[in-house]
Amino acid sequence: MSVFFEQYFDFHVMGEHFWEVLEAFLQNLVIFFVAALIALAWGLVLAVVRQTPGKKTLPVRFLTIAYIDVLRAIPLLIIILIISGGVPFLSFIPKAVRIPEWFGKSDPFWYGVAGLVFVYGAYTAEVYRAGIEAVPRGQMEAARSLGMSHLQAMRHIIVPQAVTKIPAPMLNELISLLKDTTLVSVIAFGESTLVSREILAEQLNSSALILTAFFFLLICLPGARLVDILIKRNQTKITRGAHIEVG
Amino acid sequence: MAEPMLQLKGVHKRFGKLEVLKGVDLDVARGEVICILGPSGSGKSTLLRCVNLLAPPEEGEIFLEGQDICKGPGSGTGESSWNLDFVRQRVGMVFQQFNLFPHKTALENVTLAPIKVLGKSKAEAEEKGRTLLERVGLGDRLGQYPETLSGGQQQRVAIARALAMEPHVMLFDEVTSALDPELVKEVLDTMRELADEGMTMLVVTHEIGFAREVGDQVVFMDGGVVVEQGDPKAVLDNPREERTKQFLGLVLER
Repeated sequence: MSVFFEQYFDFHVMGEHFWEVLEAFLQNLVIFFVAALIALAWGLVLAVVRQTPGKKTLPVRFLTIAYIDVLRAIPLLIIILIISGGVPFLSFIPKAVRIPEWFGKSDPFWYGVAGLVFVYGAYTAEVYRAGIEAVPRGQMEAARSLGMSHLQAMRHIIVPQAVTKIPAPMLNELISLLKDTTLVSVIAFGESTLVSREILAEQLNSSALILTAFFFLLICLPGARLVDILIKRNQTKITRGAHIEVG
Repeated sequence: MAEPMLQLKGVHKRFGKLEVLKGVDLDVARGEVICILGPSGSGKSTLLRCVNLLAPPEEGEIFLEGQDICKGPGSGTGESSWNLDFVRQRVGMVFQQFNLFPHKTALENVTLAPIKVLGKSKAEAEEKGRTLLERVGLGDRLGQYPETLSGGQQQRVAIARALAMEPHVMLFDEVTSALDPELVKEVLDTMRELADEGMTMLVVTHEIGFAREVGDQVVFMDGGVVVEQGDPKAVLDNPREERTKQFLGLVLER
């Protein structure tokens, strides 16, 4: 038992590497914010394109659905490995894109962002879609009967209402995205998991991993509570709305 | 006779295998108020949705101010061939469930389409919106959100919203059916005023009294066709067709 505690809860090791691990954890937060911002926008684009009516847009709609289904079916780790292992050798792509080093960030950072955005764009698209489909049909009909185009109706009427219906499931996706930033460690991006494993290799002690887990807990636990609060608030809103309709 | 405002010729509408409209002919003169009665499922609402192309017909012709709004290649298949802009800027619609935009105030509900579709300035649209809301008796509710308004008030906002696009024809789809009984009158009064001002109106309704008083013609529909049509008093008091008699018997019994 004491061997276990020494291996995982050696406070001396934790203290010694505290700032090093925290700094690496900040890298998780940075890649999270960048990926989340782009994924939220990309997911909305996918969701809106998926909902376009008419025969003309059928091919685009089909492509979008195929993208969403395929990207949700492949493990994120595999996607990240494929991107970082393959894209650098696609010589028809300009080097600045193939091996990106934008804003002083290394290419593993951007490959990680790409992987996270590709996959989480598909996930968030499904969340947006649930929100869009939860807006009553009459809203679109009213907007169209007033002369708005489908896109105008989406932009001014449907999407603003859809996003108010999905904060809880969207927050779940974001928590999941934050945790999945650890996967980018496999392509040598210096975030907390990678640093912790390096410490493990040097010191033959796993306590830095526990420290990393603690940092994630610190952020994700309140997030999970917030999801619960949002769900509860949404439920009271629904019952209140029903009450108004009846009364 | 002057060219009719709206003319339907042999309009068919199908949803999959279900044929909801089985060849409807209807002429509507400018300024005329036509009340459409009929049992549920008779195709009344679908008829209105055909007229503003929310549910484009598969067969038949619809002329709006002399223009064939269904013409063009691929009729009944896609929106691109339909004269959507022409139609939606001339035809206003009010729905049974109001369908106000819940995230917009009463005034914003009325001004949104004029700003985004007609390209009016915000000031211009708001001035017009204020006038319209005053006209339907809601001049003191401009900043309120729909959920804080009664059903009758919401429906009057919806009427003002449709009028803001300066339509030539107004479609009313059972607009009082979702209202509490004591709120029905305020909406019917608004519609009566509109009729008095000369608006061309197609009104799907179960309000026999309104049809008798305000309607220039009453159309009775059943099973996707027009069964009987004519002067309100004639149709309502002395129906010729058996189906009309049956329906009116059931409605008036209440």
